[in-house]
Amino acid sequence: MNKKQINRLVLESYKKNRLDKKKINRIVTLISRSDLKKYLSALKIQEKKAMLIVSTPADNPLSDEKLFRKLFPNKKIIFKNDPSLLLGMQIVDYDVIHNFTLKSSLDKIISRIEKDYD
Amino acid sequence: MIDNNKIIESIEKRLMSFGEDSKTRNVGEVIRNTDGVIVASGLSKTSIGEIVHFKNGETGTVLNLDEDYVSIILLGGGEEIKEGDVVSASGQILGIDVSEELLGRVVDPLGQPLDGKPKIKKGKNMPLEKIAAGVVDREPVNTPLKTGIKAIDSMIPIGRGQRELIIGDRQTGKTAIAIDTILNQKNTKKPVLCIYVAIGQKKSTIAQVIDRLTSDGAISYSIIVAASASDPAALQYLAPYAGTAIAEYFLEKGKDVLIVHDDLTKHAWAYRQISLVLRRPAGREAYPGDVFYLHSRLLERSVKLSSENGGGSITALPIIETQANDISAYIPTNVISITDGQIYLQSDLFNAGIRPAINVGQSVSRVGTAAQTPTIKSVSGKLRLELAQFNSLAAFAQFGSELDPETQKQLDRGKRLTEILKQPQFSPLPESLEVLSIYIVTGGLADDIPQDSILKFEKELHEYARRKYSKLLETLSLGEKPTEQTLKLIKKMVDEFKKRFG
Repeated sequence: MNKKQINRLVLESYKKNRLDKKKINRIVTLISRSDLKKYLSALKIQEKKAMLIVSTPADNPLSDEKLFRKLFPNKKIIFKNDPSLLLGMQIVDYDVIHNFTLKSSLDKIISRIEKDYD
Repeated sequence: MIDNNKIIESIEKRLMSFGEDSKTRNVGEVIRNTDGVIVASGLSKTSIGEIVHFKNGETGTVLNLDEDYVSIILLGGGEEIKEGDVVSASGQILGIDVSEELLGRVVDPLGQPLDGKPKIKKGKNMPLEKIAAGVVDREPVNTPLKTGIKAIDSMIPIGRGQRELIIGDRQTGKTAIAIDTILNQKNTKKPVLCIYVAIGQKKSTIAQVIDRLTSDGAISYSIIVAASASDPAALQYLAPYAGTAIAEYFLEKGKDVLIVHDDLTKHAWAYRQISLVLRRPAGREAYPGDVFYLHSRLLERSVKLSSENGGGSITALPIIETQANDISAYIPTNVISITDGQIYLQSDLFNAGIRPAINVGQSVSRVGTAAQTPTIKSVSGKLRLELAQFNSLAAFAQFGSELDPETQKQLDRGKRLTEILKQPQFSPLPESLEVLSIYIVTGGLADDIPQDSILKFEKELHEYARRKYSKLLETLSLGEKPTEQTLKLIKKMVDEFKKRFG
């Protein structure tokens, strides 16, 4: 199977933005072992693409949930609590990380000083 | 070390931008790590040539962009990079920090010092890959670049901004010509900065070159970019581009730069290795399809800029190593067609004691003649022709024992010419002495000197001229066509010297 066919298979595995267990069970029995490997990795990538991870240092990040659902209607949004971020918010959208946190700014200042001091 | 105020200023700047600094990073995940090439998913916003950073501090550069993944070549050891590791894009294209401090230093293609001396302070970041200067910015080659080697300066002259290939088998003196040219820049009026790029060479060979440049006082105007045989193929691939990026920094300042790529055969090997690991389709001799572009885009950056653009120049001396004198192989033919001429060294000549072992018939300089000074042009005009005639006559004369006096005279002259063009390594000559040497043979002044004493005669004549006729040498070094009076003075000096020469 070529890449295009595998990708099509991955898209077909979804029903209303959720993985369809029935379809997947059928697919995995029909394709070869090597194709199964490719299918699995493509499926993993697709899952990551469909996911949005929002990390905040606050205890109750759910207050922003509505806003995010509006901004990213087709994404599965996961909220995480990470006190090490100190302040602000980090959004991971597959391979793009938007970092609005105090921790990242401090890290950048430290690395800048280290670099300049060297 | 920078002062406290600068650190505080830097922190203040960072704090000012805090809050609005939303830094977006593009990241990926390592899928495979094979032979110095990393395949990673994600990184969808990267571009070709962009630097990426790995979790463990290693860096790499993007070389392939595919639909779902990117291929990255590592710029260091990547043994610790594992599947699943995070890799983040930097948004910066691969470059090298260049400043005047680089002069006299030995660096790797990323600008890291290799000579054990202090770290080089940050300079201007020059991109490794850059589009060469356009037609409008250039002007024809018009200034000579003296090699100090009689055979080259008289018959295959090189101009500033030219690309002259040095080609030949192993152990024929290719590097020696390049090193002599660097050493000779001490003698030039308008200084030429020299960059020696060692690609895939043994570290001991590189050390020898450094030692020679240091002992002869040439290191002060030279920079050595070294990617030895033990370095990753990625560094060997980047080395000539790094050298050229350094050259371009000085070019922007209106300086003349000489860059030696030693050698491009190994550069092509390194690129072939990377391409095969990247699974790019292999073509002739397993080289990828863009191996011509690899060298053409590099050598096209050698340039003579017009005076409106600063008037600087980059002269390139790429070196190619042939196998069994086969110049029709893939890489040699490619580079021959890219360059503005070639100096072809032959092992037969080398073994026959003719050093530099230049095959005059197959060597050519396509643009350098325009840059030759009238002085040397006037004495070496017939040199090539006379040597060609001698070679054909010498082959013919082997069949018969009796020759007419005219043919015999031509043969004798040819033998003397061959003798006078011999030159020991690491002893480049200033133009005035080159002119003198060539004129004593082409002008028939040495016809009565035995052939086996020609080199001794030449050496002692140089000493004599330096001592007694320094004004004459000064006149010859002006670059103007010698007048009748000057030629008469040379004849007078040679006649005087002959009486002393025993």
